[in-house]
Amino acid sequence: MIINAKEAFTQEQTDALVARCQQGDQGAFRELFEQHHRRVYALCLRLLADPAHAEDACQEVFVQLWQKIDQFKGQSQFTTWLHSVTSNIAISYLRKQKNWLQKVVSFEQSGLDEQGAEQLGELNGLDKLIVRLPERARLVFVLHAVEGYRHEEIANMLNMAVGSSKSQYHRARNLLQEWYNND
Amino acid sequence: MTKPSFDEFMHTALNDEQSQPKPQRDLWQGVERAINQAQPMQSPKQNNWQKLSGIAACTIAGLLAWQVIMNQPKQDSLANISAFFEQQKQSLLVQYETQPALTSDWQTQLQELEQAEQAIKLSLKQDPENAALLKMLAQVYQQQLDLINKVHQPRWQHI
Repeated sequence: MIINAKEAFTQEQTDALVARCQQGDQGAFRELFEQHHRRVYALCLRLLADPAHAEDACQEVFVQLWQKIDQFKGQSQFTTWLHSVTSNIAISYLRKQKNWLQKVVSFEQSGLDEQGAEQLGELNGLDKLIVRLPERARLVFVLHAVEGYRHEEIANMLNMAVGSSKSQYHRARNLLQEWYNND
Repeated sequence: MTKPSFDEFMHTALNDEQSQPKPQRDLWQGVERAINQAQPMQSPKQNNWQKLSGIAACTIAGLLAWQVIMNQPKQDSLANISAFFEQQKQSLLVQYETQPALTSDWQTQLQELEQAEQAIKLSLKQDPENAALLKMLAQVYQQQLDLINKVHQPRWQHI
């Protein structure tokens, strides 16, 4: 009950901040940023597996948020909307960041190796494993297991068949489980 | 103590907000700069002109890239195309000279693309009609123009 009351209070605070942002209050936007940027960054990092890109994508999310905040009508919770915006921007960012070779020769980007994941510093155990996943398996796993998207939605977002989304999810889960058990 | 099952481990990790990663640098500074910069600093006419010329440069680059792929030109026409791209790039750089860039490392990114360009040109000297190399060169040229446009004139996606 205490947790629910706290959540309700935070939700109320967020709604009030959003309303102020919609009036053009940059101070309120700064507060909104402080409240949410770590979660946005974490999602970007899980999807992009690169801290520098995750930082850039996180900034892009907030710039777009400021420009489009009028479009938030309160039909869903703000955090749900923000996560959906973040997922779309991070996926789009990933497409844009593919280098010339990756664009010319279409191959799947592999994940980081164990050493690379360790060097990312403050990641928790699961995140250290997630960034090691190959790109498609990682995207599907994060969107489905972490963000709660259905495979139909993921297939749409990533331009893949529903069956591919499901098989990539199982591939990701098997790899994560194997790495976890061997750890 | 026994190791928790994978499902327990995953559940705990995903619900532990405290262990979420945090960015290494202050991200607010860049956001603040971008949202203030997005407010009109120049007359709309001037902005439109910049946008149009940037798009035109990229379109021409794209058409040339297609031509390179389709025709596999010989060294002399390749040199002409290289000169044309270089001219487009320089004119974009001059056009955006007074406008601050949104990211600080764009010149490093541009240098990386230029290094890729040089590496491909070197390979093309050995194998001038290699279609894959020609295609890569065209892509690298276009990416340079896109990068210059993007950092000076971000086209934010639709949320």
